[in-house]
Parts: sequence; C-alpha cells; structure tokens
Amino acid sequence: MSNDTALAAQEPKTLKTDTLFVNLGPQHPSTHGVLRVGLTIDGEMITKAVPDIGYLHRGTQKLAEVRGYHHCVVLTDRWDYVSAMPNNLVFCLAAEKLMGLKVPPRADALRVVMCELNRLASHLLFFGTYGIDIGAFTPFLYAFREREMILDLFEMVCGARLTYNYIRLGGVMVDVTPEWLAKTKEFLDYFKPRLDEYDTLLSFNPIFMARTQEVGLISAEKAVNWGLSGPNLRGSGVNYDVRKNDPYSGYEHYDFDVPLGKTGSCWDRYYCRVQEMRQSVRILEQALAMLPHGEVSATGVAKVPKPPSGESYAHVEGSRGDLGIFLVSDGQASPYRMHVKAPSFLNLAILQEILVGNKVSDVIAILGSVDIVLGEVDR
Amino acid sequence: MTASGSEPSQTPLASAAPAPKPAAKPAAKPAAKPLPEPVFNQRAGRLIRDTRYWPTELWKDPWASQSYRRGAAWLAGIILGIFATGWAVGELAPWGDRIYEAIVSFVSARGWPAVVGEAIWIVIKALIVLHVILINGLWAIWWERKISAHIQSRVGPTYAGGFHGWAQTILDGIKLLLKEDVTPTAADKWVHALAPAIVVVPVIIAFAPVSFGVELSAANLDVGVLYIFALAGISVIGIVMAGWASGNKYSLLGGLRASAQLVSYELPRAFSVVPVLMFAGSLNLQIIAQAQSGYWWGVVPRWFLFYPVVGQVAFAIFLIASIAETNRTPFDIPEAESELVSGFHTEYSGMKWSIFFLAEYGYVLLASFLLAAFFLGGGAAPLPWLSAIPSWIWMLSKALFMMFVFLWVRWTFPRFRADQLMDFNWKFLLPWSFANIALAGAYLLWI
Amino acid sequence: MTQDELFNRLSARLPQLERAASPIRDYLTLRLKSTDQILPAAKTLKELGYDYLEMISATDWLGPVNPNGYIRNPNPNVFLPEGATPQNVPGATPGVNYRPVFDMLWLFGNIKERTRVFLRLELPRSNPTTSSLYGLFKSADWQEREIYDLMGVRFEGHPNLTKILTPDFLQGHPLRKDYVHVKDRYDE
Repeated sequence: MSNDTALAAQEPKTLKTDTLFVNLGPQHPSTHGVLRVGLTIDGEMITKAVPDIGYLHRGTQKLAEVRGYHHCVVLTDRWDYVSAMPNNLVFCLAAEKLMGLKVPPRADALRVVMCELNRLASHLLFFGTYGIDIGAFTPFLYAFREREMILDLFEMVCGARLTYNYIRLGGVMVDVTPEWLAKTKEFLDYFKPRLDEYDTLLSFNPIFMARTQEVGLISAEKAVNWGLSGPNLRGSGVNYDVRKNDPYSGYEHYDFDVPLGKTGSCWDRYYCRVQEMRQSVRILEQALAMLPHGEVSATGVAKVPKPPSGESYAHVEGSRGDLGIFLVSDGQASPYRMHVKAPSFLNLAILQEILVGNKVSDVIAILGSVDIVLGEVDR
Repeated sequence: MTASGSEPSQTPLASAAPAPKPAAKPAAKPAAKPLPEPVFNQRAGRLIRDTRYWPTELWKDPWASQSYRRGAAWLAGIILGIFATGWAVGELAPWGDRIYEAIVSFVSARGWPAVVGEAIWIVIKALIVLHVILINGLWAIWWERKISAHIQSRVGPTYAGGFHGWAQTILDGIKLLLKEDVTPTAADKWVHALAPAIVVVPVIIAFAPVSFGVELSAANLDVGVLYIFALAGISVIGIVMAGWASGNKYSLLGGLRASAQLVSYELPRAFSVVPVLMFAGSLNLQIIAQAQSGYWWGVVPRWFLFYPVVGQVAFAIFLIASIAETNRTPFDIPEAESELVSGFHTEYSGMKWSIFFLAEYGYVLLASFLLAAFFLGGGAAPLPWLSAIPSWIWMLSKALFMMFVFLWVRWTFPRFRADQLMDFNWKFLLPWSFANIALAGAYLLWI
Repeated sequence: MTQDELFNRLSARLPQLERAASPIRDYLTLRLKSTDQILPAAKTLKELGYDYLEMISATDWLGPVNPNGYIRNPNPNVFLPEGATPQNVPGATPGVNYRPVFDMLWLFGNIKERTRVFLRLELPRSNPTTSSLYGLFKSADWQEREIYDLMGVRFEGHPNLTKILTPDFLQGHPLRKDYVHVKDRYDE
C-alpha cells in the first residue's frame, strides 16, 4: 500500500491522468427507463456513482388524495408497469383492510394466479433484457415469445396487456372462463421445458457466468441494511419472502420454496429469478388444480366507498420485491394519504455503493441484475 | 376533462349565464358509424385465434404447413441450381486468361506499349474485387438479418422485393445515401471525415491476394499471407481516429478498447497460421490451397483442419481471433451497444456509418476466405466424386459456411468484459498458438 | 406471536414506548413521545433483531387537501356536466382530529422472527425536524430524502438531504396538504 502511494506521488511528474465524468442516461439503452447515473471513471474503473432519479415522477401519491378508491386502482397500474397485478393487489388489500371487506375464496385464488402469471412475465422480461445487457441478444426474443403468451392470457381475461386494473376492491373484475383455464394449462405445459432451455442458453454459459459471478457482490448484512427486497435480497441468502413471511391472499395454502443465492453476486440474483419462475409455475399448477368455485367479488362494495377513518398497511411480494402501501382514511371518498413503499426505489439506492470499484461493463451487469422499473422508482 | 376545452367560442355568453349542459352542439352529425361491439371476455380465446398463433399451435407439425414444405423445396432448388450453374460454367481461371489474351492482342494490334494492356487488366481485376466487397455488404447484411431472425424465432425482413425481403439492404442503402450526414459540433471535422476511409481502404486492398478458386486471385503474391495481415492491421487506426474525433466520451472509450483489443488479437491470429505455413512451406495462398489437395484413403480430404490436434487447434484459434478482429460478439466490446451505445461509430450517420459496416462485413468475408484457404482446402472438393463442380463454387460455399459460423456465434454468445477479453487473449490463445507451432514442428521432424 | 406478547417483549427494553391510540390495522404500533427518542429506540430495535427498516412515511394532519391549488380539473368523472359539483373533492370529516402536525411513521421488520413494528412520532408543523436514521440503516438514505422532498420534514444528521423526486425548480413540498402549485416554465 505504501509502495502504491509512493508511486502515486511520483505520477504527476511523468504522466498526468485525470478522471472522466460520464453521464449514463437518461437516454441509454441499458438503464431500463429514464435513469441517469453520473459516473466518474478513471480509465475503465468507477470511482464515484450518483444515481439521479425523478424523470418519471408523476405524483401518484398526491393524485390518490383527490381520487376515489376505485380510481386509485388505476393509478397503481402505472407504478411497476411490467407487473401491474401485484400493484393492483396491494392497494386493494390495504383498502379492504380499511373497509373490512372479506374477499371470496375464488377471488383470492384468481388473484394468486394473476400475480404469479405476472411474476413470470416480469421475470421473463428481466431474463431477456439482462441477456441484452450482457450482450446476448437471442434470449431476449425467446423470453418475449413466452411473455407474449402470458400477455395474451391477460388480454383474454381483462382486455388489457399491460395496465390491467383487473384486481378490484373486494375481488376481481370478472371470472375466468373454462377456455382460459385450458389455455393457461397449455401455456404452463409449454413453458416448463423452456426453463431448462434458458439454463443451457444463458444461465450456465461460461462467458455469462464469468461476466456476472464475481461482480456486484452484496453481503447479507449489507442487503438488509440497505433495505433491499425481493430476489435482490434473496440472492444474498436472506430468506425473506412476503408470501412466506406475512402471507396474504391465501399463499399459506400453496406449497412452494423460496430460492436463495449464496454470495449475492449478479449471477445469484439472476438465478434466483430463474428459480422463482419454476416456483411460480408450481404455485400456478396448484392454484389452477384447486381453484374454488363461487363468487369472484365480495358483496356490498360501494360505488363510492367511504371507509371509516383509520390507517392500514398491506404489503405483497411483487415481482421486484416487498411492495407496501400505507393508507390513511379520514372517512372521505378519497384516501387521506397514500404512501407507496416501492421495492425498486430501495433496490436502486444501493447502486451508489456497489458500483464503485467496478468496470464500466460491470455497471451494466449490476444495474441489470438489480432489475428496476423506473415507473416504480419515481412513482 | 376534454369537455372544458372543446367549446371556447361560447365563453362570453356562457360566463353571463352558465349553460346547464353543452346544449349548443352542432346539428346531429350524419349518422355516426356505430362502434363495434366490445369484445370483452365474452368469447375467451377470440383475441388469440383471430390474429395470433401460439408456438404451441404453430410448432405442432411444421411439415403439415404448405408454406414450410414450399420453403424447403426452394432451398434445395437454390442450392442444386448453384451447383448446376457452376458445373455448366466450369472453372473461371481460363475465362480470365481468355480476356487477358484479348486485351493483349487488342493493345498490340493498336501498337500501344504492352504496359497499357497490363494496366487495363489490373483495373478490371481491381473493379471485380471491389464489387465482390460491395455486393458482399448487401448480401451479408440481408443474410445476417435472416439468420439472426430465424435463430431468434422471428422471420426477419419479408416485404421489400417480395422474395424473403431480398431488396431490404438495397433500400436501406438508398435510405442511408439520402440521410443527412451529421458531424457533431464537438467533433474534429477532418479526422471525423477521414476515419471511415481509413477503415475501409485497407480491407479492399487486402483482398488482392485472396484466392477465389484454383488460380483465381487478383494478384498472385508470394507474400500473400503477410500482406493480408499487414494491411488488415491498419484499420484499427481508423477506428481509434473515429473514437477520438467524435468528441463523445462513449466513442472515446470504444476507440480505446478497440485499439487494445485489435492490436492484441493480431498476435494469436498470425501465430495460429504459422503451422499451416510450415506444412505448406509457402506464404502464397494458392500454394497453401494446393498443398491440401488429395485424399487420405481416398475419402478424407487432406485439409489442414483434419491434421490431428494441430489442425483443429490452429483452426479454433484463428476463428476466435478473426471474430475478435472483426469486432463481433462475443468480442464486440469496442461497439458494445448496451454499454457504449455503439462505441466508436455512435456519432456517425448516413454513408459514413454504413462505410464502417461495409468494412466490418468486408473483414468477415476476408476472414471467411482465409479460413477456407488455410484450413478447408481452398477450392478442393470435399469428396473425390464431387470434383466435377468447379473450385470457385467450393471456395464460395466454404467461405459462406464460415460466414454462417460467424453469424451463428454472434447471435448465440454474450459479450466478454474488456479485461476478460485481454486475459483470454494473452493467457490462453497466445500460449496455445505457440504450443501449436511447436507441435507442428514436431510433426514435421518425426512424421 | 400476538401483538400483546410482542409489546411486552419490546417494552421490557424500551419502556418509553406506548401503544398508539390509532394503530395500523393488524400491526403493532408504538408511539414515541419526543424527537430525541427515535435514535435510541431504533438502535435498541436493531439490537433486538429489527434490522430491516422497511418504510419511512409521514402524514400531514392539517386537514383535507385543497386540490384547486394544483389540479386543473379535480373531477375525474368526465360524464358529469361541466360545472357540476365534483364528487371527489375531499371535505373535513367531523370527529377526525385534524391538527397541525406531521405524523412520522417508521416500519421496522424482524426477518427471522417474522414480526414487524411501527413507530410513530408527531412533529409540529412549525418545526418538522427529527433525527436521521442514516447512521443505523442505509435504507433510510433515499427514503428520508423522499420524505424531505415531498413532505418537507428535515432529518438531522443526514449527509445529503436534497431533493430526489421533484425537479429542482419546483417550489414547496407537494404532499403537504396546503401545497399550492407555483407556475413554472412547464405550465402553458
């Protein structure tokens, strides 16, 4: 060390070097939206990284204060627009707690089905775009081929492909048809072998592993301290999944595992997601096999609900992590206060620490492995 | 929300006595078209079956589809047609000799000095080689798009030209010609304009000794291999110039990476060929190809690729280094789209940009021909009873197959990181190419 | 573990905490009495295994929001005639204790025991200042910046308390109930 500093002291006499400031974003193919990271680089080495967010801030927390509860469900679609079902669900859970609504069992099961399908779609998007970040273009199209089928299923059930507004206060919008269930089973049968194909194509590719395995390490303590959640936290080996930790919508009835990583590297985070897809398929098969009969919406949901004054907090395991809603009602038709605890927002914050000391190429690998959606970061 | 903005003309009256409803609408419009019935979860499956097909439906039995069978027939027909044409035309070298004799007799009949005839013949050969590179650009881009599309379960261009979008690249070329040529304010104007030329000129010159078949090359150089490697190394200067002159930090990084990468991979690329040169005993591409003619046991061609161990190692190293030299995935760090936003050619547009691509595909073609000449026996037929088909067809087929390997690799693998790339080169490829040379020497000494 | 058991365990170490009068539904909610209690309480909670700071939030209890200051058409129902009384403009509810305070909320999670506890603290609107938890939990970094940006609560000890979501030229803190939009270059 002392040798290095002595060398560094001599350096200006021989060769003057300087750091370079590079704007990664807001328009950059690999920032997955409008994120700007101010990078100070020394050669190819990052010495300082400052994420700059807010380009997509739409103030939904403020907008919710002048909209009715039914309207707020529409706002939730726009946070994490690649997996909108858990967003719908978490708002409905919080509002139902305030109103004291009891959701019928079939609606609960349908909510689980939709959230897991959406988790598949979201993780497929991650799988594809992460391949592109690392330089493999082909997995992207394979992932989109499968994601397209899921979006078709959503379109069949609720008419929308991205912003569903399907999970409503007290239940879901409409019941699914037998044709839809058959189509979903057909998709699952088709999808299961594809996961093995992905492993051969990308997960265990030597170049891919070399790019991601020793990069972006997050220890378990650091991950908890920075408040990470979802696959980012589980990639570091912390067993925290809201579906197990604080079950909702009847997740306690399904048999599934929580895949954990070991070292908290980019590859661990990546592979956690791939494993989670297998678990989602498991949950989906169970949910479709024992889908209860009955109503899909609670009776007595008011057109303009005015829940009694009180405060509630609900959180779900969204595709990106622990998505929470803190909802305050003062007895009016609009929420008095809505606070969104967005997982991407907290997952992104750790970048300023783990990017330092990595190469420029690794920035993309780490940023991709954290899997943010800027709509949710900025809300 | 939109209602407030739709009737601004009424404001003076409306402010005096606010109308209860927007009653002053224009007279009833001529029978508005009725909106289509909303399809809303009534008939599940309708949205998919009307316009879209799932892979589960499409892949059930591809041979049942008539278009699939027709496509396979077309493919077989095209391949057989090319071979039949080659068989009908025969070797191209005698045709060249006839043209040359005609020129010489024409010049001597006029009483002009003999050097004029030579000059005319050189210009013709140069133009032919230049057009090989230009047409290769058109062909390779279309082919890359189709191959990558089918690798990625897409179909690629289909509309332009009718038959599988064959005219797509031509139309793209016209578009690129008509595009505005933007030079950024921060750019160094002269260097920025000069860089594409410095990239593309060496590849054209380097094609001079490339053999397209038996006795078929623009210049029969005795130092052909050395000449090609020497000229191909010049292009890196153009890439560094492009990165530097663009006045863009990403381009600068790309240029820096390119200089490090291309200079490094020159070494294993050149050393991997040394065993071939040792076996052939010449640097002349024609002689190298001739040295591989003939068959072991009458079946296995005596190509360098089939020399045990040494041939395969040399082939693999040369292929890998060639991919790195052409800046293609998994070695495309100078122009990494997802990191450096295309690197050194970020700030180029129009024809300058397309010249970079022309050079890239030129290098791919050059590497393919070299691979065919060094390792796949040049114009030799793979089986003895196929030797009726002329050598240029075989050379072209082998080169195109190697080009396909380039595309295949590109659309399959992820990208290396810059330092891993260097490690791979200096710690793996280069030592093994040295070991391979020693092995080749041992073969020559004792076998 | 029921809320009472959890409360008994926590109050053994943290006697200064009391059950909040208005709890969060289904979760244990504790109230802090003064600003200087949050840092020691958070430290003790961290020692007890509550090392996962999940959420920081704040509620402005000034009264119902007045949307006229910042929203062009507060009535999202486009089917109503123009000038009709908006359905969703919130009014004051009798019986609700509106008061000039910010109600801070921290959510601490214990991953191993699968429990979580809310802490709340009332800050006067005249001087909304509390201690930053950045030294204990790095996840407080951006969350506190967000609360500062949107609600205007200052966190003492935060190393970089700057705006994070709203643009630099935006004046005021949008989530305050008395926020009025100041026209800027993006208004027509």
